[in-house]
Amino acid sequence: MTHRSAATRAGLAVAILLPLVALALAVGLSTGAGELSLSAALRGVEPDATVLFRLRVPRVLLAAEVGAALSVAGVALQALLRNPLADPFVFGLSGGAAIGTASVVAFSGTALGAAAMGGASFLGLLPAQLAAVAGALAAALLVFTLGRARGQLDPTRALLVGVVFNSFASAVVLSVEAVLQPEQTQAVLLWLSGTLGYEAMPLLAGAGVALLAPVLVLIVLAGRLNLMALGDEGASSLGVDVSRTRLLAFFAASTAVGIAVAFTGLVGFVGLVVPHAVRLVAGPDHRVVLPASALGGAAFLILADALARVLFRGLGAEPPVGAVTAMIGAPLFVMLLRSRQ
Amino acid sequence: MTALLEARDLHYRHAPGAPEAVAGASVTVAAGEVVGVIGPNAAGKSTFARLSCGLLAPQSGEVLLRGDPLARLSRRERARRVAFLPQQQPQDLSFTSREVALMGRAPHLGLWALEGPRDLERATEALREADALDLADRPISQLSGGERQRVFLARAFAQDAALLILDEPTAGMDLAHQVLLVNALRKRSRSGGGALLVLHDLALAGAACDRLLLMLQGRVRAEGAPADVLRPEVLSPAYGTQVDVVPDPATGQPLVAPRIAR
Repeated sequence: MTHRSAATRAGLAVAILLPLVALALAVGLSTGAGELSLSAALRGVEPDATVLFRLRVPRVLLAAEVGAALSVAGVALQALLRNPLADPFVFGLSGGAAIGTASVVAFSGTALGAAAMGGASFLGLLPAQLAAVAGALAAALLVFTLGRARGQLDPTRALLVGVVFNSFASAVVLSVEAVLQPEQTQAVLLWLSGTLGYEAMPLLAGAGVALLAPVLVLIVLAGRLNLMALGDEGASSLGVDVSRTRLLAFFAASTAVGIAVAFTGLVGFVGLVVPHAVRLVAGPDHRVVLPASALGGAAFLILADALARVLFRGLGAEPPVGAVTAMIGAPLFVMLLRSRQ
Repeated sequence: MTALLEARDLHYRHAPGAPEAVAGASVTVAAGEVVGVIGPNAAGKSTFARLSCGLLAPQSGEVLLRGDPLARLSRRERARRVAFLPQQQPQDLSFTSREVALMGRAPHLGLWALEGPRDLERATEALREADALDLADRPISQLSGGERQRVFLARAFAQDAALLILDEPTAGMDLAHQVLLVNALRKRSRSGGGALLVLHDLALAGAACDRLLLMLQGRVRAEGAPADVLRPEVLSPAYGTQVDVVPDPATGQPLVAPRIAR
C-alpha cells in the first residue's frame, strides 16, 4: 500500500466534496414551497427573481455556513476531548445559548429588554441572537474554568461539567417558560429545536467572514490536534504547547458554534455525524478531516434543509431543520457507530 | 565535548507539602553513551526522566541539553534535541503505525505541518529500525502491547534527536525485540547519539548500559559501571530483599535474581 501525503489526501477530499457541495446547492436552490423557473428568475421576472435571490439563495448560504461551522467545531472539540463521539454542544454551549435566548424573550416586555433591543438592532442583529452568542461563550468559559484539573483542561471533567450545566440550563429555561405567554414559549421552542430563517445578504457575508477566522485557526492547528491524540505528554515532548493549543482550539470552536447558534438556534447532530462520517472515509488525520468536514457539513445542512422544506409541503407546514438533522442524524449515527467495530 | 544531557542537582515535588519525588539527583549523558536508571518503585526514576527532557520543570537545579539550559530552549528546539518515550502509550488510536512514526517528524515541520518525502523516508527508516515496518499500515488500536511499544519507539527514532530518554522501553516486548532495542541503541550511540533508559529488568540494564544509576527515595544511591552497581551488597538494601548476582557463564555479564525461599 502506498502512502499518500497529508496534502495529497486533503486535496483529494476537497476534490471529491466540492462537487457534492455544488450538487447540494443545486438541490437546495431548486427546492421550495412553490414552483420556480430558474431561467425566469435569472432574467429578472417577478416573482421568481425575488424568490430566488431574496429567499432561496440566502437560506442555502446560511445552511452552508452553519453546517460548515458546526462540523469544524465538532472536529476540534472531539480532538480536545479525545472522544470522537462528543457533540459540539456538550461543553454547555447549547445550555448557555438557551438561557440567553429565553431571558431575552422573557425581558422583551420590560424597559431593560427595550434598551437591549434598541442596542442590538443598531448592530443589525436581533437581541436574541446576541444573547445566544453571549450565553454560549459564557458557558464555554465556565466549562473551561471548572473543567480544569491541575491547571490543565481535563477532558472527562470538562465533559461532565458541560453535561451538568446543560441540565441546569434546561431547568432554567423550563422555569422561564412557565412565566411566558404561549406565543413566546412557541418562539423559544422553535429556536431551541434549530430553525433556518431568511437573513439579509450583508449579514450573511459578515457571518461568513467572521467564521473564516476560527476555521483558519483550526486548520493551522490541525497538525497539533493530531499530536494531541498522543496524550498531553506525547504532544508536549514533540514540541507542542499543549495548554495554548487547547485554549486556542477551544475558543475558535466555541466562536464558530456561537455564530452558528446566533442564526439558527440549536441544530443538533451536524457536528457529530459529519466529522464521524468523514473520518470513516478519510481516516483520523485532522489536516484532512477539518477541511473535508467543513465541506461535508455545508452539503449536509443544505440537503437537510431542502428535505425540511418538502417533507410536509402538502400540509403547508415545515418542520424546524434541527428536527430533520436529528431524525437523519440519530439513526445515521447509530449506523456509523456500529460500522466502527 | 559538551554532554548531550547534563542534569544538575534536580529537586521536584508533585504538590506543595508532598515529599520530594526527586531530591537532588544529577546525571550526565555524553555522546555515545547509554545510561540506565534503576531502582525500586517510587524511587523517582520516571519523574527524573521527565525532568531531564523538560516535561516537568524542576523546583531547583538545572538541565542542560548540549550545554544550553533546557528552560531557555523553544519547545520545538527542545524536541529536536531530546526524544522521550513514556511508559504508557495511547491504545485507542485510529492512526496507522506509519502515521504515528511520522508524528515524530513534527518538530522539523513548518507552519502547516505537512511532511515531505524526506520525512516519510525517515519515518520508514525508523519503523525498520524498531522492526515495525510490517505494522506500518495497521491502526494502533489493532496492535498488541509489544507491537505498539515498537511503533512508539519508531516515533522516538524518527524525531532525529541525539538524546533519547526512554521510560521502560522494553515493557511488553519479547526477548528478541529487547535484544533488537539494545542493538539499535548501540548503533545510535556509535554515531554520536546517547540514551537515558529507565529499566526494571536489572540483567537487561547490565547488558544494555555503559553506566548505571541506582535511585532510591529521589536520590542517586550508587553510580558506575554495571559490574560496580549490580552487586548484592548494593542492590539488596536498596530493593529491601535479598538479591543474588552471578556472572553469565557465556558472557560474564552480571545476572541478577531475587532470592525467593521455597
